[in-house]
Amino acid sequence: MMIKFLKKYKYLLISLASVAVVLLVWYLLIDVMKMTKSSVFPGLEKTFRTFIAKLTQKKPDGATLGQHLLESLKVCLLGYSIGAVLGIPLGIAMAWNKWCDWLIRPVFDLIRPVPGLAWTPMFILIFGIGIEAKAMVIFVNSFVACIVNTYTGIRQTDELHLWVGDVFGASSWQKLTKIAIPTALPMIFTGLRTALGGSWMALVAAEMLAASKGLGFMIQQARYISRPDLVIVGMLMIGIVGLVLDIILQKIETMVAKGMNAQ
Amino acid sequence: MNKKQKNITELICAVVSILTFLILWHIGVKGELGRLMPGPLPVIRMFFATLFGGTIGSRTMIIHILYSLIRVMAGYFLGAAVGVVLGLSMGWSRLVEAVFSPLFRIIRPIPPIAWIPISIIWIGLGEDAKIFLIFLASFCYVTLNAWSGAKNVDPDYLRAARMLGAGKRQLLFTIVLPASIPSIFAGLQVALSSCWATVLAAEMVRSSEGLGWIIIAGMNNNDMVQIMTGILAIGLVGMLLSMIFRKVEARLCQWNKSGS
Repeated sequence: MMIKFLKKYKYLLISLASVAVVLLVWYLLIDVMKMTKSSVFPGLEKTFRTFIAKLTQKKPDGATLGQHLLESLKVCLLGYSIGAVLGIPLGIAMAWNKWCDWLIRPVFDLIRPVPGLAWTPMFILIFGIGIEAKAMVIFVNSFVACIVNTYTGIRQTDELHLWVGDVFGASSWQKLTKIAIPTALPMIFTGLRTALGGSWMALVAAEMLAASKGLGFMIQQARYISRPDLVIVGMLMIGIVGLVLDIILQKIETMVAKGMNAQ
Repeated sequence: MNKKQKNITELICAVVSILTFLILWHIGVKGELGRLMPGPLPVIRMFFATLFGGTIGSRTMIIHILYSLIRVMAGYFLGAAVGVVLGLSMGWSRLVEAVFSPLFRIIRPIPPIAWIPISIIWIGLGEDAKIFLIFLASFCYVTLNAWSGAKNVDPDYLRAARMLGAGKRQLLFTIVLPASIPSIFAGLQVALSSCWATVLAAEMVRSSEGLGWIIIAGMNNNDMVQIMTGILAIGLVGMLLSMIFRKVEARLCQWNKSGS
């Protein structure tokens, strides 16, 4: 019985053991043996305590963890949704209409290779360090990713399917909405997910450069005052939020694009 | 419209569109906006003036580009090498997967940029910290793709090889490795552009040379021309990097036509 159980869950147990060993080594080296100063590498216990304390405390950077998180999410989702709302139709138009393609794509190809966060200094100078500059950086990021993926998705439409549409007398508009867009939906969602990941990353960078609130600001401040425990709490928070956002989008994708991913 | 005519129309459209863009930009900054934004001419002039001759900060543009590129390359290849090995062994052996996958899953969602503060505390402000960040950026993507590539090898191939009496070693090197190359290359490509973004962020936060430094120093001196020159260079180098990568990929994975 016991052996059967062990066999069945062998790899799960090894996984758990692996995490446990890392945490244990961390605890032993730092908390028990005090290998380094806690201003360089915080102990496990201290990090955990900081996390709990930061949920309610405003010290040392002027806002609780929840407030930083809300501020970051607000800016990120604002810029992201504007970028997606403008980017997806433009991508569709570029892929569907050759004049749109020929006239817009050269300019777009000029802007595309610049990573979104490289615009940060320029937008800070133009808009100041408020919400607008950061939202603009994120807007550019998600706009570009949405256009690229939507464009590729529509372009992948099988010619044969379009011919079938022609044979049955579909208008250009019907071919677009009934054939091309459904074909492109999985790609559009890939774009939305890449865009969200990129936006979240660009936001953290923008907040480290200029902000007065937000998770990026929090970890940067924590570095200035040598609080690595707070930095690690912030990093894990950033990672978890990014993961949760991605999972939510994945769920929406399976709901909207049901059965379209099968290849 | 035959093919040749089509190409010519397309070319004319491209020229018209870029010219319109530049002219709109040029006219747009004539008025009130001109105090904030420079026109296209000063930017292009500064780019060529500083490319070899004049300096930004204490170095020419080419040297700044080289600084950034060397950082990217060091971290990128290191991360790619470790990532390929780890990813393949995770896809190959369930034991390795069981040990490393939970740790990898914890680290992966943290964007490399979020490591900047802690890397400065741990490693300091020098080159090592930046290379560490770029290492992380490339490592995560490459590991993930090598892992899924090795996991998704068609089991029929494996069974066929086993039936013909292939050893474990042969199975790994003649079947699993070649079959996961397309996926690994996809990872390498994403990793390259992610590394390029990361080096900029790292240089913006702390450095005294490189393209990220150019734009952040431009911001601190309120010098918009310098920022835009920097952005122009960043875009050009980024474009060149991905073009070179595509050429290398086409050369090394000639059999893989499904990509692109």
